[in-house]
Amino acid sequence: MFEWLESTSVAIWVGESLWAYPSLLSLHIVGLAVVVGIFSMRDMRLLGLFPGIEPAAFLPLSKLAVIGFIINAISGMLLFTSQAVTFVNSTPFLSKISCVIAGMVLAGIIQSRLRGEVAVSKAGTTVSGSTKLIALASLATWVGAIVAGRLIAYI
Amino acid sequence: MLESFAVSIVDGPLNQWILNTLWLWPAMEITHFIGLSLLLGGLIVIDLRMAGYFKVLNPAATHQLLPLVFIGFGLNLGTGVLFFYGDPLRYSVNIGFQIKMVLVVLAGLNALLYHWKVVPLMRTWDPQADSPIIAKCVAFTSLTAWTGVLLCGRLIPYVGSG
Repeated sequence: MFEWLESTSVAIWVGESLWAYPSLLSLHIVGLAVVVGIFSMRDMRLLGLFPGIEPAAFLPLSKLAVIGFIINAISGMLLFTSQAVTFVNSTPFLSKISCVIAGMVLAGIIQSRLRGEVAVSKAGTTVSGSTKLIALASLATWVGAIVAGRLIAYI
Repeated sequence: MLESFAVSIVDGPLNQWILNTLWLWPAMEITHFIGLSLLLGGLIVIDLRMAGYFKVLNPAATHQLLPLVFIGFGLNLGTGVLFFYGDPLRYSVNIGFQIKMVLVVLAGLNALLYHWKVVPLMRTWDPQADSPIIAKCVAFTSLTAWTGVLLCGRLIPYVGSG
């Protein structure tokens, strides 16, 4: 199946066009900055940093992070097609994808908790212990995704 | 100038240490990526609020993110200098690297404009009103310059020299 994917015209375009691969990588790094940037700010806020910022402010900001995620899902899938067989056999790649999926699931959980908090009180400045734990786990998934993603080129 | 400096440091002790330390290069790359996430993450929030988006945020409170922006910048300046020492002949003549450095300086000058012109303004402006034009310009310049830094940096391996 992955051999077939590599032989599709899209995969060949990504792999052989002079600018496709570097352009997709460039999009991917901008998306990374938006996704990891916003989600890590949110996690650090939930863990107690920058107390002046309302946790609820990350409800609309997370929508921007989701746009970054969509950019990276698309650019990532296109990059994947060009070397699909190599990637599916790469431990760092599989670890990265696991981290990203876990990070997005945790983002969904945090988002619904923040929504609940906004509904309960306008000044939702106290963050529950379990939410803090989820934020810490989320932060770890994004650091893990970056570490694993970089190691694809080395392992 | 950059090239003669590059020639002077190649094969020096720092250059050799970077090249001969196993796993140092990927560790620096990982640090550089984490640093850029902190830098950009903080700036996206600060700049977009400054430009008038996300009015749910208190503009002054977004300044609490600045230490994180500086930590991100510091990490990337440190690892960036080490990258240069590790492969000076490649970076010094690389057009992607050169444009990236010009954009970093531009972003730095823009940050001074923010510090001197926008911050004093922020103490008095009505947070729910439309942002002053200078704040919008500084925010837009910041986000554009740093996006350019990301793009040029990522393209370094793919663009030619000179």
